[in-house]
Amino acid sequence: MNTAFKENWLHKINPSLKLLTISFLFVFAITIHHFNFMITFTLSVSILFIFCTGHPYKHILLFLLPFLLIFLSTAASMILFGKGETTLYKWGILHITEESLYRGLHLGLRALTFAMMGLLFALTTKPVQLFYSLMQQLKLQPKYAYSFMAAIRLIPIMIEELQTIRDAHKVRGVQTQKGMNSLLKSIKSLPIPLLSQSIRRAFRIAVAMESKRFNSSNERTFYYQVGFSHYDLLFIGYFILSISLAYLFAINFPFFPVSDVRY
Amino acid sequence: MAYITSVNKLRLKFPDEKGLLFKDLTLSFKKGEKVLLLGPSGCGKSTLIQVLSGLIPYSIDIPIKSENIQIPNSWGFVFQDPDSQFCMPFVDEEIAFVLENLQVPREEMPERINELLDMVGLQLEDIHTSIQALSGGMKQRLAIASVLALNPDVIFLDEPTALIDEEGTEQIWNTVKNISRDKTIIIVEHKIEQIIDFVDRVIIFTPDGELLADGNMTYIFSNYKEELKKYGIWYPGAWEDFKRENNQKTVSLRNDNEVHLKNFHGYRKKEVKISLEEALIHSGEWIAVNGQNGAGKSTLLLSLMQLIKTSGDYQINEQSIKKLADLQRKAYLVFQNPEYQFITNSVFEEITYELKGGKEINNEYFHKKANDLLTIFGLHDKQHQHPYHLSLGEKRRLSVATAFIQNPKLLLLDEPTFGQDAQNTFKLLELIESERQKGTIIIMVTHDLNIVQHFATRVWEVKEGRVISDRKKNETKKKVEEKAYEYSI
Amino acid sequence: MFKGLKLTDILVTIVISIGFGILYKIWGPLYYAVKPLGLHLDQLIYGMWFIAATVAFLIIRKPGIALLAEIAASSGEFLMGSEFGLEVLFYGLVQGLFAELVLMAFRYKRFDLLVVSIAGISSCIGSLILDFYKGYVGDLSTWNLILYIGFRFIGSILFTGVLAVAIVKALEATGVTKLVRSSSQKDHEALNQ
Repeated sequence: MNTAFKENWLHKINPSLKLLTISFLFVFAITIHHFNFMITFTLSVSILFIFCTGHPYKHILLFLLPFLLIFLSTAASMILFGKGETTLYKWGILHITEESLYRGLHLGLRALTFAMMGLLFALTTKPVQLFYSLMQQLKLQPKYAYSFMAAIRLIPIMIEELQTIRDAHKVRGVQTQKGMNSLLKSIKSLPIPLLSQSIRRAFRIAVAMESKRFNSSNERTFYYQVGFSHYDLLFIGYFILSISLAYLFAINFPFFPVSDVRY
Repeated sequence: MAYITSVNKLRLKFPDEKGLLFKDLTLSFKKGEKVLLLGPSGCGKSTLIQVLSGLIPYSIDIPIKSENIQIPNSWGFVFQDPDSQFCMPFVDEEIAFVLENLQVPREEMPERINELLDMVGLQLEDIHTSIQALSGGMKQRLAIASVLALNPDVIFLDEPTALIDEEGTEQIWNTVKNISRDKTIIIVEHKIEQIIDFVDRVIIFTPDGELLADGNMTYIFSNYKEELKKYGIWYPGAWEDFKRENNQKTVSLRNDNEVHLKNFHGYRKKEVKISLEEALIHSGEWIAVNGQNGAGKSTLLLSLMQLIKTSGDYQINEQSIKKLADLQRKAYLVFQNPEYQFITNSVFEEITYELKGGKEINNEYFHKKANDLLTIFGLHDKQHQHPYHLSLGEKRRLSVATAFIQNPKLLLLDEPTFGQDAQNTFKLLELIESERQKGTIIIMVTHDLNIVQHFATRVWEVKEGRVISDRKKNETKKKVEEKAYEYSI
Repeated sequence: MFKGLKLTDILVTIVISIGFGILYKIWGPLYYAVKPLGLHLDQLIYGMWFIAATVAFLIIRKPGIALLAEIAASSGEFLMGSEFGLEVLFYGLVQGLFAELVLMAFRYKRFDLLVVSIAGISSCIGSLILDFYKGYVGDLSTWNLILYIGFRFIGSILFTGVLAVAIVKALEATGVTKLVRSSSQKDHEALNQ
């Protein structure tokens, strides 16, 4: 993401460690079935997301808007159609129960934390640093790492290309007709130029890389050395502390009289 | 004298193609030679340098057979497309990638990177500059710098300037001349004007990949000029020869189309990206749109085609144009990459796609019209082929043919001759010229001053998102031509 | 399993998958736009998320490609800042793995509609397993759950099977796939003619 931002401590954390920590939190969040804990857990993630990415608050707010939609839509189907006994509202096939309501909200919060954690990572990590770190700390083979870096470099080029292809097809009248038929046609006709161009480009880049003596099985030196620092401790420390507090608070001062949201 | 790279009795076969490309080709190169390989497209000159460098078959899986191939000990390869030879996002990282491959210690890298960038004359304020921010010519010089990092004895250059404008081309060849001392340079190229005094050996291939001639530039020029012309090589004086042989047929112009623009603006993300105060254009006009990269030339075409938001007055034959649908059968935009516009699986379907419009395709009139076009465009034999299987020049012609079949009043073209060889360029320009004489208004973005000089009737100059000048050529013909040179270089 | 992949195979797979990642990114908001209807119409287009695996496999035809493609597609989506956040990575991994297992079961020798449809269904099962843990979908009322699963299966076959085969067929017609397929013995023999 290419918005203007200030680099701060979250940007300096070792990318592999950041990825592993966030992955662990993802799995951990799935094991939270306690509604009150889910609320305080969400708070602990949002504090970091809102205040510590170094991006202007205006952007953070803009990012939060679609999250609201995610929260609502994830919660809605469980609230409306989930199993439960204590009926709150019933109309036709809609059946809202107290259990399904809490479960729905719980799911909404869960989706929200996943979205925030993912964006937290994406906003504070440079792809090149991430893949250098994966090669150095997690022994990812260079042929995968450099392929990823080469492909990521192509993302803006491909997005622009997709737009141009759409325009070019419009001129030829592909999308002027309305209806299902032309929609299907464009689903099939859009990817062909994009994919064939991408395959050729990727192939050429791979040949160019090998012409520059790239060989995945050889030893190599690294232009960037990605290491660890005390910020890594701070990062892990923040989560240990804030999640413990979140748990204690939720157990001792529950907001709602429910515990496990599962049926 | 010892040879530095050679092939002996080389045979090569592309998968799914019937014949062999080379049949027992034998060729060798001496140390320090500067060699230019010439030939029509498809003759195998690029393939040959891929074999000499070992890219075929080690990186590119194409079956070959030979008695002996001598690959140089150290070599570098500069490719044609500036956008598909880098794997890293920043200038320093790209050169560092090569240094990493060679296991250069990290501490030595920054100094080495600066050194290499100096050698190719890339003075950047910060070596950590995004590659995407560089011009085509700069990108190719970066490619040369990363090749120099390999310390090569032999440098192969595969049409390094085909996709680069005139200014960039000059910079690239100056760089190559600077770094080539003691090195063997083997070049494949069809724009040869700037390297004539540099190469000391020229080899010409026939369309089937056989050796036709091998000698110095003077020898080639005095004995093989007809072949150079036939194979579409941009030799010096190609334009003059073309003009001499094709005297303008003066056809009476039909003056029935008119485009009127007033306070016309094109927007991207709600920002004005192109402005034009006022212009009145009539049948018979061919406007060349000039200006630097990023000045807004392509944006102007997109605006005229209503593919981005516009404001102001825009009329074709007194009908107001507000959206793309208003332009049906009135205007057509030919994009730079013809493949983007192909949507069917055969040349014939491609030509008739617009005609269908839901109607019965067996209509005799349309069939005849499509056949006529195929013949005019030299695509009749290829009508059952897949558009992607055509050569670059044929693809370009097909994309223009799909425009003609609509009989547009206004034909917009984005650098249609870019990267084309001489033969294809001339053929295309003749076709567009005949369309102009039929009354179609032509607006063409081009960097090529020869087109401005020989074909355009009017020149628009775009600078920083504005059309800043509008000159009709026939009024002050001489003056405009001089000006044209001034502002496009 | 990935030992045999050359740089060209890997790079082509990753680039086309990230291309699909871009399409997914466009797909994501659309998915959420139809989702609040509650009747799971969104599940019909869910199959779009498995398509990178089968398209890449049909193009390159080597072991490991399907898994790599799904991981690459989801990483691309993730790094562009997907609304789905980190879960795309896990889903990508599982979906790719499930597709890969099917292709492996056919010993990477079959490239037809049936096999890729089964691979798509397998990816679909993988995603459902994650949904049971992550989204408590087992706690939906029964009729609603059946709708949910049924739609997703149909979508998987339509996109991962039918559409993928159609796209690759069209690509083969352009001739570009020849770049990444190995040369045949027949071509080598022809050199001696």
